[in-house]
Amino acid sequence: MEVLKVDNVSMKFEELTVLNHVSFSVPKHSAFGLIGKNGAGKTTTMKLIVGLLKPTGGKMTVCGEQVIYGNTKTNRLIGYLPDVPEFYGYLTPKEYLKLCGEITGLPSSQIKKKTEELLNLVGLEGVNRKIGSFSRGMKQRLGIAQALINEPKLLICDEPTSALDPMGRKEILDILRDVTKKTTVIFSSHILSDVEKVCDTIGILNQGQLLLQGNLSEMKENYSKMGVRMDFFNAKDAEEAEKVLVDLPFVFKLERLEMTLSVQLTSHPSNTNELLKIVSMKGWNLKKYELIEPSLEDVFLEVVKG
Amino acid sequence: MEELIEYLPLIIPILMIELILAAVALIHLVRHDQYRFGNRLMWILIILLVQIIGPILYFSIGKGDD
Amino acid sequence: MRGFKAFVKKELIEFTRNYKWIILLSTFLFIGMSSPLLAKLLPNIFSILEMGGLTITLPEPTGMDAYSQFFKNMSQMGIIVLLLVYSGILSNELTKGTLTILLSKGLSRNAVILAKYTVALFHWSLFFLIGTIINHVYTIYLFEKTSFDHLFFSLFSLWLFGAFVLALILFSGTVTTGNYGGLLLTVVLLVIGLIANSFSALQKYNPVSLATDNLEILTGEVLVSERIGTVGLTVLLTTTILVFALYFFKEKKV
Repeated sequence: MEVLKVDNVSMKFEELTVLNHVSFSVPKHSAFGLIGKNGAGKTTTMKLIVGLLKPTGGKMTVCGEQVIYGNTKTNRLIGYLPDVPEFYGYLTPKEYLKLCGEITGLPSSQIKKKTEELLNLVGLEGVNRKIGSFSRGMKQRLGIAQALINEPKLLICDEPTSALDPMGRKEILDILRDVTKKTTVIFSSHILSDVEKVCDTIGILNQGQLLLQGNLSEMKENYSKMGVRMDFFNAKDAEEAEKVLVDLPFVFKLERLEMTLSVQLTSHPSNTNELLKIVSMKGWNLKKYELIEPSLEDVFLEVVKG
Repeated sequence: MEELIEYLPLIIPILMIELILAAVALIHLVRHDQYRFGNRLMWILIILLVQIIGPILYFSIGKGDD
Repeated sequence: MRGFKAFVKKELIEFTRNYKWIILLSTFLFIGMSSPLLAKLLPNIFSILEMGGLTITLPEPTGMDAYSQFFKNMSQMGIIVLLLVYSGILSNELTKGTLTILLSKGLSRNAVILAKYTVALFHWSLFFLIGTIINHVYTIYLFEKTSFDHLFFSLFSLWLFGAFVLALILFSGTVTTGNYGGLLLTVVLLVIGLIANSFSALQKYNPVSLATDNLEILTGEVLVSERIGTVGLTVLLTTTILVFALYFFKEKKV
């Protein structure tokens, strides 16, 4: 069952096309990473799903119900963490969660219970200061707490880690990983390693177009090239190896920097063995031979470049 | 002059309001150093020299967000 | 409805924690206390000053002078303070983005506007009442003549003008951007109203006259019957402005 379906959605601000016929769907219990550079349309996509913006075309459904701009009923199924969550500085976290709970229509006993539970989850239990004195990381954690108060079927987090220091990022990622066990999550970021840590499915957004979507590990296999790094003892050997390798059919890309040769192979698992055979056949003396795992970054760069 | 003294019990509460308002504004100003515009000295002068309206200006358009 | 209630509570807390109550309380206490006293003491103050040998003799002040001071202070200082306190009521939230989360939680945009207006109107009424009662008690204490014709209508007109200004502030907040855009538009609209008010033929149709003719209503220079229409028109205008505010806020980017 699909929790979210985005169907052919476009968004224009005056002359500027921010989203261009974007379609994707997020199945239940998956963690969907929406990646793209700044300005690719990630925030716009999320605001559209929450009904804060009116799309110029297309439609979206959450758990089968259509999203309507303005005051959409589907929001009861959604928890939303904006890119920079802003709170009322004069309220305490408990008061803020109470306000959120009341708006979503939770009974007050439930609000109390949920508030404690969530403040525990995000590590803000016992913090009775006003939100005005919070650090960015604390605000981000409170942001996750408020998003989860109505036990949403879908949690939407817009760049939750981008503005944080490494400590804060790790905390947020840990919390999010915890949340993905129970809730479907959409998580946007331009920090690809963060997405890799949380998500199993990704979509790559570039200049308003969804270039690619699918399972993260499959995508890595299909799209990125296995790489090999070879360190030689002298530049002469490296130069010779370069000449040999450049003509091989399974070598996709070759780069040499002094004594180091970086080879990208066309995607096939046996190719690394082939390369190894040639190395031993030629009897090159290597200081180091290292396999480089494909990363999301490779996928991203290749997709966006293409 | 005697009349002014006669009405002193009515004048004092008014002076109290002005003083309290200025004091509350000054205390806030000392504890915070963010202003939407202007600087600390400017706001101190406004609070002290412009009765009633000075502190009100500080609170409504002067002080930064909490 | 539950969104409206929750947001009203939030507005009430905001009022007590953002110094707004201190501002409004001291302003209206000050106006209520100082207006009658100033009227009473003005002749003495002039005699003390003695303006370079020039003696100004003022007639013995009456309760009417107290109300003259009161209306002058309320319509100037009172309304200006109201503008200052409430000018950011919407723009603060929009520039900071504090509404985003609450709207994503299902709070309706109408509830935001209506809750804000309700709470602002409640506070204006409360502090208007405080100022008015203190002024009246002081006037009774300080002056002999203390009964006035059409006092209630005159005060009501002033209060209604405040209610109109509050609606105007909210409306301006929905059609402008930035921190001071709303304040600027409200002031511009009020200044246009003030200028229009100098044409006596237009006064009947001008809400501003509700805050300028209060003394004249007490003295009988302006008849209540002449201003009943203005009151009705202002109620209608206030409602219309609010409906427009709701409409424009629906389209507003948050």
